[in-house]
Amino acid sequence: MKKILVFITILVMLFGFTSCKAKVKTPLIVFAAGSLIQPFTELETAFEAEYPQIDILAEFHGSIQVIRHVTELHEEIDIVASADQALLPMLMYQVNIPGTETPYANWYISMATNRLAIAFKPESKYANEITSENWWQILSRPDVKVGLSDPRFDAVGYRQLMTFALAQDFFENSDIFDTFLQDQFTNRIRLIDMGNIQIIRIPEILETTRQSHIMMRGSSVALISLLEAGEIDYAFEYESVIKQHGFEMLQLPASLNLGEEGMDDLYGKVTVQMDFQRFATVEPVFRGEQIKYGITIPANAPHPASAALFINFMYSPTGREIMQQNSHPLLDPVVVDNINHLPPDLLNITKQ
Amino acid sequence: MIKKQFPPGFVIAASLLILFIILPVLITLLSTSVQEIVETIADKDVARSIGITFLAGGISTAMGILLGLPLAYIMSRGNFPGKSILSGIIDLPLIIPHTAAGIALLLVFGRQGILGQLFAQVGLFFTDQLGGIVVGMMFVSLPLLINASRDAFSTVDVELEHSARVDGATAWQVFWHVTLPIAWRGILSGTITMWARGISEFGAVVILAYSPKIIPVLIYERFQGFGLSSATPVAALLLLVVLFLFIVLRWLANSLEDGKQSKK
Repeated sequence: MKKILVFITILVMLFGFTSCKAKVKTPLIVFAAGSLIQPFTELETAFEAEYPQIDILAEFHGSIQVIRHVTELHEEIDIVASADQALLPMLMYQVNIPGTETPYANWYISMATNRLAIAFKPESKYANEITSENWWQILSRPDVKVGLSDPRFDAVGYRQLMTFALAQDFFENSDIFDTFLQDQFTNRIRLIDMGNIQIIRIPEILETTRQSHIMMRGSSVALISLLEAGEIDYAFEYESVIKQHGFEMLQLPASLNLGEEGMDDLYGKVTVQMDFQRFATVEPVFRGEQIKYGITIPANAPHPASAALFINFMYSPTGREIMQQNSHPLLDPVVVDNINHLPPDLLNITKQ
Repeated sequence: MIKKQFPPGFVIAASLLILFIILPVLITLLSTSVQEIVETIADKDVARSIGITFLAGGISTAMGILLGLPLAYIMSRGNFPGKSILSGIIDLPLIIPHTAAGIALLLVFGRQGILGQLFAQVGLFFTDQLGGIVVGMMFVSLPLLINASRDAFSTVDVELEHSARVDGATAWQVFWHVTLPIAWRGILSGTITMWARGISEFGAVVILAYSPKIIPVLIYERFQGFGLSSATPVAALLLLVVLFLFIVLRWLANSLEDGKQSKK
């Protein structure tokens, strides 16, 4: 008798909780930039409440990684949202779905913007000293732990390097970039001054040295918990993310935060390149420009109709409100690249 | 003969399961060419990563033996209130999700953690350091060594220990000259399992120490960042190295045991 009871208990523990699952729903696979994790998770809850037959399966990665899941790992994804809209034409328009003449995408919506800033805590080292004038000096101090995201995988990764390069002109000091980065990586990140343009070159193997005071992670949101735990003192993050987490924020001047309208001529003086063949078919070049998020439905999306529902929902008053509350308002008016390819289901949002 | 000994279907079930284990390993090895393996061995980052992995695995296993054997012995011989609770505590790392273990360790060994701050006084840091890898590996694999050693100690006849005590041996001498020589094989087996479990750990280590990258982290990063073709040769190489060491250690244990038995 006791044996039977034990057996039943084990069975219940193993399978009991899984049987709570309801009937089969249509999955909607969303791959988005890490910085969208909070607003998109709230959108997911609100969306699923309105469309209970759809189950959103969301994954968040560095923006380059998001696209690689589609074009290199050949996963079938319904929605791609990148923190750098330039990645979409570069990596998806130019690459055809294997065995077809169709590119992975041929349109995108300019979704939102953001500004780069420095997140810290009141307990961070030199928190009472840091200003928008001396931040680069503080971050270069060997006893200050700085969190960087990997420029090979994440948009903040290459944007924070652009900020350092732009800071050289802004503060009229040509040592800022090298002072911060020297001896921090086993292979150097180089800044090449070509006169009117500066090129940052990223080595294929990017490892911090043993004495380094930099901690690097695959995406900027992966630095959040390290900052919370006090493992790092400062991290480069988007303003929306800093506000969502309630960190202290050091705002950067307009010339450095990559978030201001009409400053692309200035931002464009910096370009980031990889020292190696990163993608099978395209060689990406990241040009400095105003931060713009892009969203699209890949041509091989398994559930394009549900995907359109989600984007429409994001542009509904409820969706806009959620984005607004997360300090990440959607751009107005809605701008679409290649509007002639935009699915008819989505034309409404351009007329709002 | 086998058919006579076992209920029908057992052999089929057993073979299926063995295939389930062998097939993925075999396919990984077969999908990598010899040339790729050679190139991977020449890859400085892989070599360094293997070095760090084995070093950290070695240190954590050594510390496991040093601190775990006394605990295992107490658990085997002692009879005290709360023993079953203690036994449950020892098993905790086996049921905690490894990422949760990593977070728990970060809270204790991180720069702001109790032990992190304590060890910082002597210049020992854990986040993104070798020390972090060691504690990550040790935490998740320790129960394997302790439990195996406790079982090994329990196979030693207590009467044997008693008679040694009666003959005037100290508790240390009894442990060293009577218990350990009989129990060592089970302990060695536990040691090998702990080591193997340690070097294959990902979840707990990656939270505490993303770099220096141990092999499981390097494989994950290459898979995520550079794709299958970049990750598979590293995985295959690690499989080869570990299989080799595993077989050698098992063979060593067996042959030592045989030698001991033939002396008798």
